[in-house]
Amino acid sequence: MLALDLFVNGLIIGLFYALMAVGLTMIFGILKVVNFAHGEFYMIGAYTYTLVSLALGVPPWLALPAAALAGALLGWATERWLMRPLYAGYGSWGLMKDEYAVVVTFGLSLLLINLVDKVIGPYPMRGPSLSEVTRMSLGPFMISGQKLITAIVAIVLLVGLALFIRRSLWGRQVQAVAQNRLGASIAGIDTARASSIVFMASDVLAALAGALLAPVINPSPDVGIFPAVKSYVIVVIGGMGSIPGSIVASLLLGVLESFGAVYLSYDYRDTFGLVLLILVLLLRPQGLLGERVREV
Amino acid sequence: MKLPSHRNFLRRKLGEEMLLSLVVLAALALVPLFVSSPYWLGVLIVSMYFAMLSVGWNLLAGYAGQFSLAPAAFAMLGGYTTGLLAWHWSVPLAIGLPMSIVVPGLIGLVLGRIVLRLSGPYLALTTLSFAEIARLVVYNSIDFTRGDQGLNVPALVDSRVANYYLFLVALAAATLLVYAMLRAPIGRFLMAIRDDEVGAASRGVNVVRAKTIAFFVSCGICGFAGGLYGTFAQLVSPELGLIAQTGIVIAMVVIGGIGTLVGPLIGAVLVYVASEMLRDVGNVQMIVFALLVIVFARFFREGLWGLARNAFARRAPAASAPPSPAGQA
Amino acid sequence: MNRAFRFAALLFTAGFAMPALAADPIVIGVSIAQSPPGSVVQGTQVRDGVEIMTKMINDQGGVMGRPLSILYEDDQGVPEKGRAAAEKLITRDKVVAVTGGHQSSVCLAAIEVAHRYQTPYVNTNCWSDDVRKKGYPEVFNPGNYNTRVSSAMAETIAALKVKSVVAFAENTDYGIGQAKLLEEFLKKAAPDTQYKYVALDRAGKDFTPAVLPLRANAPDLVVNIMLPPAAYILMNQLYEQGVAPSAKTWFYDGAGIADYPDFWDNVKEAGKNMLAFGLYHPKMPMPELGRQVGEAYQKQRGNEPNRLIFQAADSVLLIARAIEQAKSTEGAKIIEALRNIEFEGTRGKFSFSKEPGYTFQQWVDIPYVTYQLTEVNQPLSQTTLIQVPGEPLHIDRIQKPSN
Repeated sequence: MLALDLFVNGLIIGLFYALMAVGLTMIFGILKVVNFAHGEFYMIGAYTYTLVSLALGVPPWLALPAAALAGALLGWATERWLMRPLYAGYGSWGLMKDEYAVVVTFGLSLLLINLVDKVIGPYPMRGPSLSEVTRMSLGPFMISGQKLITAIVAIVLLVGLALFIRRSLWGRQVQAVAQNRLGASIAGIDTARASSIVFMASDVLAALAGALLAPVINPSPDVGIFPAVKSYVIVVIGGMGSIPGSIVASLLLGVLESFGAVYLSYDYRDTFGLVLLILVLLLRPQGLLGERVREV
Repeated sequence: MKLPSHRNFLRRKLGEEMLLSLVVLAALALVPLFVSSPYWLGVLIVSMYFAMLSVGWNLLAGYAGQFSLAPAAFAMLGGYTTGLLAWHWSVPLAIGLPMSIVVPGLIGLVLGRIVLRLSGPYLALTTLSFAEIARLVVYNSIDFTRGDQGLNVPALVDSRVANYYLFLVALAAATLLVYAMLRAPIGRFLMAIRDDEVGAASRGVNVVRAKTIAFFVSCGICGFAGGLYGTFAQLVSPELGLIAQTGIVIAMVVIGGIGTLVGPLIGAVLVYVASEMLRDVGNVQMIVFALLVIVFARFFREGLWGLARNAFARRAPAASAPPSPAGQA
Repeated sequence: MNRAFRFAALLFTAGFAMPALAADPIVIGVSIAQSPPGSVVQGTQVRDGVEIMTKMINDQGGVMGRPLSILYEDDQGVPEKGRAAAEKLITRDKVVAVTGGHQSSVCLAAIEVAHRYQTPYVNTNCWSDDVRKKGYPEVFNPGNYNTRVSSAMAETIAALKVKSVVAFAENTDYGIGQAKLLEEFLKKAAPDTQYKYVALDRAGKDFTPAVLPLRANAPDLVVNIMLPPAAYILMNQLYEQGVAPSAKTWFYDGAGIADYPDFWDNVKEAGKNMLAFGLYHPKMPMPELGRQVGEAYQKQRGNEPNRLIFQAADSVLLIARAIEQAKSTEGAKIIEALRNIEFEGTRGKFSFSKEPGYTFQQWVDIPYVTYQLTEVNQPLSQTTLIQVPGEPLHIDRIQKPSN
């Protein structure tokens, strides 16, 4: 049945969106800024996975952790050198720290795209699949082995993250810092480390998303721009800083785009999310599950 | 009656910057006397296109504090306004080009109203979404805009040199317009909004009106740049509105000096010309500029212009120091 | 013999009189896609073909005693960059001619520049009829054109006697142009067959929303008018959802992708039983020069050659021959020579038509084939030929998939 097919397809796409969006919302939750280089971490993950398995002959399953590692390192470095000024004295931008974050992460995005373009080359590469099964039946649905595996891995990662934030010590420290940075530091929590953890986790997720999708997206230097724009949309719709909000919004967007493409307009399916974003910002700026922020 | 000291300081600062801008513009005016290669004149024409975008964006972001991520989209809208009018209804450029100021300006005005209460990342994301929607609509409306294939635009003037001076005059007009705005009360209102919006509102600044004007003028300038570019390249395509293009504009302004009159000019020309010259040396120009953006954002907010001024100020401290508060009543 | 002697004498005196001039290379500008969203696979093949022919020409003494040199520009498959690349090649690098164009939207932008500067432009592989219809005297078309493909495909589809056809076309001049032409030709050849086309974004990564409705409501035949990598993604998703190729639905490629070197790597089982329109097949009759170029490519790359190699080689050869005939590298003289040239290239003998419209300065009777892939990883030589130049369509040779 078409509607059911579209629904399931939308959910699967939503899962991939969620991997990207969750990290972005965490960064906002803890640093109150948007990371405009997020798409590039996705791109780096895709490239690491592809290169490690193609050039070093490593089996694809082992290349996945390599991509995660690359994401973690890059995240750590970015937070340490570019983001610290935001809360440790604001650098030379004074009150305009949001603008600083925009400019600096934009610059980082440009840098990463062009570095990869220069060092590795602009030719699209083909990431190896995790599964050679090109199609299989799953009840009434047809799906490729690759899609099934990546969907399962995505679910595992998201659940793992939720558990980490809720249950682990570091996770709870991160929650504290997100709620009240000053208060958390007074309580003795190392806020710098919490920020670091968040950045690294965010980039690991983005990098893994890129690696999992590498066989489909054919990694090229600018492959991260489009998923990034989708993530920005989702993060606001779901509520900046709310992880469950991002997950819900991701799945919602996936399903909306899937149905909208068939019943409304295939050509403009990418604009649905953007229009929804503007509507949400006007009518319910805190998003679906976000909190109304009061600023002084 | 003495003028308040801060306004004096601002006027002097603006005056300095305008003078230097005029110097830069004059230098550009003299270039065709020495350079006749149509290729390099073409390179400078494109840098002037970017300079106009930079001037427009700098007004909105550097002076009014509205960090919009949509300047490239407005340039695209301006180019397509002129192009579509000519393509579908044979509207002559005499009307088509002015429309490339008005239509994007009005759209910008609407956008400004939408983002009135937003700030920081919300503002950036909304303008980014708007830019992407605009680009996608143009890209996908294949029957109307020819989508990815691009739209042919008639040429305004035929010779490369004539195009060069056309762009120069437009750039000069845009810079003078911004200068005039900044000297007028609206300029100070915008800067007040940038520095402390709530404070400004509490002092009676009409925030809504000021922001609306800023959006209209900024987007109008960007649109006009796009319209002119269309007549020069005789082609407009959705490429013009890519977020990456906005990224280049931001880079140019940050490197040149954000929130200064001359920063966008020197940033645009330097970055673009240097990138063309570096093209032969292995295409590293974008990496260099990206690094520069990061470095400047992190350490030198005032950009190249700021560095130059500081270097100059160290040699002639009396001339450019602001008046000390103790000295005035 | 006489000619060789005169040539040697010329070199001898030239060597004394103007030593610098003899070594002064003739520069041809080649604009190709070497990064996305352009088709990098195509761009690389064009480059390979150009290189092989350039080497052959230079090994035989170059053109009028001067070596041929090629300057490449990456147009990324984007019209704006194609325009900028043509500008740079013509105004800054002062090339004698521009060629290499393989994506129609880019060609359309580049020919405007060539026309403005009256520089010869040899259209290597842009199929859109609009490139010809503009009627620019600078533009010459030794490659395929959309009308040729559409009329051939309409003939095959009519012979298959299918009732409903869905075409997926990329949102470019080439894709939409061919989709519309196919509609026209089908109306004449098979008026009872239903036809519709869907425009897809060539930069898209997921076409499942476009494919799923076909699962519910399967047509008898799906046409592909898309280039890689989008074409491969589409094929894989059509196969994944069980739409085509299948017992109910044929899959017919009109973009000539079956002979790309990375075709089987990317599609695997999805390519089995695919019908293909092709411009090259190892069993086609070919002149000796073509065979030499094909062998050179095979040795260099280890793959079978495809039409892009030959078209690119012919583009360079055309410019070289025109220069020799005109005895000059001046644009206007090259153009005049090309207008009247009787050319013998890698794919056959032809001259350019002077009829306006889609045949303007085009090799009208360009040879083509129709064939079917019957096994995964099948080399071209083993595919089933359904139609060869000069013979009628053998529709009975087609096999239907079993699942």
